[in-house]
Amino acid sequence: MEITLALIKPHVVRNTYAMQQIRALISQNFTVLDQKEVCITKELSERFYAEHKGKYFYHRLTSFMNSGPSYALILQSEACIQKWRSLLGPTKVFRAVYADPNCIRSLYGLSDTRNACHGSDSEESALREISILFPEFDAAVGRRQAKREEA
Amino acid sequence: MLKTRRILLGISRSYTAKTKRSVLAQDKSKIKEYSPKTTDSHEHRVYVWGFQETGALGLQTNVKKAKERYTEMVHHPTRLQFSNNNEITDVAAGYGFTVYAVNRDDGETLFGSGLNTDSQLGFQVKGNPNDPANLDVIIYPTAIKLPRVQGETDEDMRVKSMSAGRAHLVVLTQNGTIFTLGNNSYGQCGRSIIEEERYSKSALIHRISQEDICGKEDEVVQVECGQDHSMFLTKKGRIYTCGWGADGQTGQGNYHTAGQITLIGGDVEKEKIVRLSCSSDCVLALNEAGDAFGWGNSEYGQLDDSELAETQINIPRALKLTKSIGKIKDVAAGGSFCMALNDQGLVYTWGFGILGFGPFQRNNSGFPSGCGVFHMGAVNSDGDLFMWGKNRFGHLGLGHKKDQFFPFKAAINGKVTKVAYGVDHTIALCKTFF
Repeated sequence: MEITLALIKPHVVRNTYAMQQIRALISQNFTVLDQKEVCITKELSERFYAEHKGKYFYHRLTSFMNSGPSYALILQSEACIQKWRSLLGPTKVFRAVYADPNCIRSLYGLSDTRNACHGSDSEESALREISILFPEFDAAVGRRQAKREEA
Repeated sequence: MLKTRRILLGISRSYTAKTKRSVLAQDKSKIKEYSPKTTDSHEHRVYVWGFQETGALGLQTNVKKAKERYTEMVHHPTRLQFSNNNEITDVAAGYGFTVYAVNRDDGETLFGSGLNTDSQLGFQVKGNPNDPANLDVIIYPTAIKLPRVQGETDEDMRVKSMSAGRAHLVVLTQNGTIFTLGNNSYGQCGRSIIEEERYSKSALIHRISQEDICGKEDEVVQVECGQDHSMFLTKKGRIYTCGWGADGQTGQGNYHTAGQITLIGGDVEKEKIVRLSCSSDCVLALNEAGDAFGWGNSEYGQLDDSELAETQINIPRALKLTKSIGKIKDVAAGGSFCMALNDQGLVYTWGFGILGFGPFQRNNSGFPSGCGVFHMGAVNSDGDLFMWGKNRFGHLGLGHKKDQFFPFKAAINGKVTKVAYGVDHTIALCKTFF
């Protein structure tokens, strides 16, 4: 089974209702292996978004994340990277509201930067991002645990 | 057959004529003349609609009852009970919260309801005073106590202008004091940024004197907030900004983030600006002569739609786009679109999204047209409000959840004088018809 990282951005964490709805959606669809509130500092977000370095939105992406605490979760299910990303919807909120009006981003996103949540785009980046936000988490252990639960 | 019918008709006709005559012969003094009953003596009334789970609509008075309500959104403009009991003079909407400027006998001038997770509505608690419970969500308008220095009267504390951002609030009072509340992680409250400051349960209301912003010879006349930055417009037409500048929305010529309130230049340096508008990250300004200026986010061609146009503009620039529409009277900037009203009373929109091209009546009143992040509206000379755009949580107030592709009148029982466009709710300040 796959694992992925879901990161709920600061402006949604501050909206109690949106937070409730997203958590309900997550518990319906995934097994949560670990979760915590994290303060994403400038330094942490620069590591996190290293792949976007050099793009025009890199600075606003990294500075946006430290407006308050974010909420990070490690999700597990069959094909969960794809599943979480399809629940999120298109990255750009102003386009998402027309393309996919019921996805998380069109419901709770405020602008293209304030787009509600983050989801890893591949298995490799999921592991990399998890290791940044959950240094104590061991992916192998997580996988074993899940197997035990299945058995 | 034909004959009998004619006779019958003849009979019924004479019968009707007789009754008519008897009605006309009635004593006229007994006919009641209609005079409207005024149950509410206040000049303004407020209608609210949109998403109600955040408490921004302030329609619920009781938490238990709120749980029994049928829907999470209000599709129809609904009269706010709070406005029946209070003289409301101004409204402003942020993300999930609303503030009201009020004239009251007890001296309170500012009320708010909705999300308070960043203390954008002040320090609000309930229950035992020794062990108070913090309120993250306020369901009914509650007083926001502005801290006064000695000698400040109720009149001094009346609200002159106010604006709300994503999680902060800026209020300008009659005596020229500016109060900022809420999230300051980008310096949008006009004070220096404190790393890892906790904004929840914070009792801090920052006070700035207008002298400290623009000196003694000038005064601040309008405050305007983007989602994470603030702007101050003065009588002489200067603009001062602070807050998040990652899209260039502070117009300071850089992409920095700062709590220092700074005068901005660029193309507006020698202009007398009379109006500022912003709802997200794109800013529009209007000068006395009716030319538009803009800065900030332009990812959807709001400020410049030419090829090779920049997506972020960090210094105020005279707009080429609006040159052809004549003298502009009002501007409004939304999330991915902008609008302008010219002196002919025509509304122009551009950018990305549902722009509402379709049959539209002239807006002759000079009354505001405006934008939220996802929706737009315009008021005509009769005080009718027309709405269009993305119908996020029913915030168009048209009685349904579908998007509206051309301007459509919202059913409001009053003449609309001001509209506050929130992210997922809308507030209209109205006058009575009589």
